[in-house]
Amino acid sequence: MSAVLELRKVSIRFENIQALDSVDFDLLEGETHAIVGENGAGKSTMMRILAGVYTGYEGEYFLDGQPVHLQSPRDALSLGIGMIHQELSVIPELSVAENLFLGRQPLTPYGMIDWRLMNRTAQEELSKLGFADIDVKRPLGTYALGTQQVVEVLRVILSGAKVLIMDEPTSALSPPEVERLIQLIDTLRKAKRSIIYISHFLEEVMRVADRVTVLRDGHKVATVNQTDTSVNELISLILGREINAELPAATTQKDAHVLLEVRDLTADVFRNVNLNVYQGEVVGLYGAIGSGHFDLARAVFGMYRFDSGAVVVDGQTYPRDFSARYAIQHGLAYASESRRMSLFMEEPIFRNVMVPHLERLGRWLSPTRSTELDLSTPQIKLTGVHPDDPVNPVGQLSGGNQQKVAIARWLPFPPKVFIMAEPTRGMDVGAKSEVLTILRNFRNEGYGVLVVSSEPETVLSVADRIMVMSRGQVVADMENVNLNKDVLMRLL
Amino acid sequence: MTTQTSSRAPGEAKRGFGGLPHWVATLAPVWTLLALFIFFGVASQSFLRPQNINNILVQVSTLAIFGTGMTFVLLTGEIDLGISSTAAISGMVAAQLFANNNAQEPVPLIAGLLVGTLLGLLAGITSTRFRIPTFMSTLAVSFIGAGLTTYVSKGRTITTLPEYARFLGSGRIFTDETGRGGFPFIVIVAAIVMLIAYLVLRYTRFGRYVYMTGASKSAARLAGVNTNMILIAVLTISGFTAGLAGVVGMGRLGSAQPDPVPSYLLDTISAVVLGGTALTGGRGGILQTVIGLLIYGTLRNGLDNIPEIDIYLKEFITGVVLIVALIVNVVFAGRSARDKTAV
Ligand SMILES: Nc1ncnc2c1ncn2[C@@H]1O[C@H](COP(=O)(O)OP(=O)(O)OP(=O)(O)O)[C@@H](O)[C@H]1O
Ligand SMILES: [Mg+2]
Repeated sequence: MSAVLELRKVSIRFENIQALDSVDFDLLEGETHAIVGENGAGKSTMMRILAGVYTGYEGEYFLDGQPVHLQSPRDALSLGIGMIHQELSVIPELSVAENLFLGRQPLTPYGMIDWRLMNRTAQEELSKLGFADIDVKRPLGTYALGTQQVVEVLRVILSGAKVLIMDEPTSALSPPEVERLIQLIDTLRKAKRSIIYISHFLEEVMRVADRVTVLRDGHKVATVNQTDTSVNELISLILGREINAELPAATTQKDAHVLLEVRDLTADVFRNVNLNVYQGEVVGLYGAIGSGHFDLARAVFGMYRFDSGAVVVDGQTYPRDFSARYAIQHGLAYASESRRMSLFMEEPIFRNVMVPHLERLGRWLSPTRSTELDLSTPQIKLTGVHPDDPVNPVGQLSGGNQQKVAIARWLPFPPKVFIMAEPTRGMDVGAKSEVLTILRNFRNEGYGVLVVSSEPETVLSVADRIMVMSRGQVVADMENVNLNKDVLMRLL
Repeated sequence: MTTQTSSRAPGEAKRGFGGLPHWVATLAPVWTLLALFIFFGVASQSFLRPQNINNILVQVSTLAIFGTGMTFVLLTGEIDLGISSTAAISGMVAAQLFANNNAQEPVPLIAGLLVGTLLGLLAGITSTRFRIPTFMSTLAVSFIGAGLTTYVSKGRTITTLPEYARFLGSGRIFTDETGRGGFPFIVIVAAIVMLIAYLVLRYTRFGRYVYMTGASKSAARLAGVNTNMILIAVLTISGFTAGLAGVVGMGRLGSAQPDPVPSYLLDTISAVVLGGTALTGGRGGILQTVIGLLIYGTLRNGLDNIPEIDIYLKEFITGVVLIVALIVNVVFAGRSARDKTAV
C-alpha cells in the first residue's frame, strides 16, 4: 500500500511553545489512522497543517509522493483533503440534501436549482452508506447531533475529499450516535478512503483504527498497529508512565447534611425533578443528549427559567427567578458543557478565572492586576493548566486545558456545591483522572458535587450516586456500586 | 502610552502584521494621526498655527462628548443610532424652557440632560426587555427624538439660549482684560467627560463588565454578570452624553435647530471606530476614541486649510482617507490572521 499523505520532520512554533517538533507521519490508502495524545500534545495543530490552515511550518509535506505546500483550506480540499471540525458547520435550517450540496447544488438547464436531482442523489448517496432512514427533505436541525455529524462527514466526502480528517468527532455525541459514526467509518474504509481520527476515547480508537500514532509534547512517540497494542499500552505511551486506572475510593462517608436540594423543578424540557446532593458526595446526573439534564443544571444555576419548584442550597431557599449572580453569591458554581460559551477566548487566563469573583473584591472598583494574579495563579497551577502562564489568552490553550480553566475559575472562592456539566469533555486520559481527582477532593473537603454528563464513563468513574434522566424525568437514583455502562444506557 | 483595552501583559512579545512588534501594530491609529499631522503641516501654511489647533479641538469637542457614550455602547457590541436626534430634542427642550417658559438656570440644562438620559434608558429597556436589537430600538428612539424636536419647536429656530448652554458651548476661560484670547470651555467639558469615562472603564467593576459583555455575552452571563443591566446602563450613558452634546453643541452654534444634525451620528461612529474600538465589542476604549477623534478632526480641518482643494471634492477625499485609515488599522491589528478556523 502506498502513502497518500506524508509528513517529514515537520515542526511548528507558537511564540514560546514548540507545538510540533520534527514529526514524521504517513497515512496509507484506505487506512484509518488514529492520533492520540495528551491535551496540548499537538494533535489539532498537526491536523491544521495537513488541512492548509497553518502555513508557517518547517519540514516537508507530500501528497501522493509529490511535495506540496498548501496555502489555504480551500487548497487542501481541491487536493482531496477535507477536515471535519469539532464544531459542526452545517446549517440546521436547510434540508439534509441542501446541506450535502451546499454551494454545489445541481442546476437545471435554466439555471435553477434542480431539486429533484439533488434530493435523489442525496438519498442515493446516503443509502449507499447505510443511512437510508434519513429523510433528505427534512431540515437537518430536526435530527440528532450524531446524524448531523454524519451529514457533515458526507458533505466533505461528496465535495471530493479522499482523505478525511476528524478532530474529536465524538466528544459531543451520545453513545448510540457514536455507534452510528463508527459504522460510517467502517463503510468508508471499505470504500478505500483514508481517514485520520483524533480521539481521547481509547476504546473507540481500538475499534476504528488500523494504526495509532501517539504524540507527546509535540514529539511523535510511536506509531503502532492496532493488532499489536492495547488500551493500557496506549495509556503508557501517551503519558510516558503508568497510571492507576482505578480512581481512589470515597474516603468520607456521606452524612445527612443536604447541601443542594432541588424540589419538584418543572420547566418545558423537564418535569418534577427532585434531587439531593449531600455534603461530601459526588452525584452523577446521566442522560442522553436532549434528556433535559443540561437544562436542569442551568435552571439550578439561574440560567434557565423554570415554572415551578424550588432550589435550596444549604438550607436556604432561593427566591423565584433568581439570577446566576445570586446563585454565585449564595454558594453555587457552574461550569457549562460548552467552553466556547463560558470562556472569554481572547482574554488572559487569569481574567477568565477572576470574572465571577469581582464583586467580592470591591464594591465599585475592579481589583488590581496583581490582586487578580495573586488569587488566580495558585488555582491555575492546582488544576494543572498547561502552559500555566496566567497572562496567555485562553483561546490559545488546547481544548482540554481550556476545560481546566473553566474549573479553576471557581476555586479562588470555593462554593458549597459545584455543578459541572461534562467536566472531562475533550480531556486526555491523564487529565481526566486529574480532574476527577480534583472533584473527589472537593467532595472529601466537604463540598457537594453534581456532575452532569452524557458520557456513562464519566459518571461511573466519579460519582458516589448516579441519577439517570430520560425525557425530562428522573428515572433512576442509585448508589454507584456494581453499575456499568449497559445498565445506565438501558435506563434511558 | 498603553492602550487600556489590551488585557495583554505589556511585556508580552506579541507579533502583529509582518512581524512588527505588537506595540507598533496596536498603535497604528497613532501613526495614522502623526502622518496626517505631518502631511497637513507641510502642505498648508495655516494648519499648524496655534489658533488652528485650537479650532480643531473645538471642532471635535462636541463629537468627543457623543463619542464617549458611543464608546461604551460599541464596547458591548451594540450600537446607538439615536444620538443626533437625542441631542436635538435635549437642546430644544432646554432652549424652549429658557426662552418661552422663563425657567431659571440651571433648570433648562438639567431638563435637557434628563431628556437625553431618559431616551437612552427607553432604548435600553425596550432592547433588553423585549429582546429587540439595539439597532432597531435606537433607530426608533431616533425617530421619536426627531419628531419631538419638530413638535416642540413648531419648526422654529430658537436663538435665545440659556446662559449655561452658551457658556459651556462658546465660553472661554483665562481670557485677558479685554476679554479676548483664552481657552474654549467646550474643550474642557469634553476633556472632563472623557476623563471620567476613562476612569470608569479602566478602574471600576462596571467598566470591566462592559468589556466582558462585549467580548462574549454568554460567557459574561455564565460568570454572573447581569448583561441586560450593562446594556441598559451603556445606552443610558450614551443618551446622557448625547443630551449633553446637544446642549453644549447648541451653545456653540448659537441656536437651537428644529431638526437633528444627521451628520453627528456618522461622524461619531467613524471617529470612534477609526480609533480602534471594534464594532463587534470587547476591544477599544476612551484613549482609542481620543485618537480617532483627533484623526477625524485633523482630516476635516486639514482639508479646509488647503485652499487648492476643490471644495466639491472634500467629502470624496475624506471618504478615501477614512477607508485607507481603517484598512491600515485592521491590517496592522491583524491578530493571528492566519488561523482561519475557530479553535
Ligand atoms: N494559535 C496558537 N497560538 C499559540 N499557541 C498555540 C496555538 N494553537 C495551539 N497552541 C499551543 O500548541 C500546543 C498544541 O495544541 P493543540 O491544540 O495541537 O493540542 P491538542 O493535542 O489538539 O490538545 P487537545 O487534546 O486538548 O485538543 C498547546 O500547548 C497549545 O497551547
Ligand atoms: Mg485538539
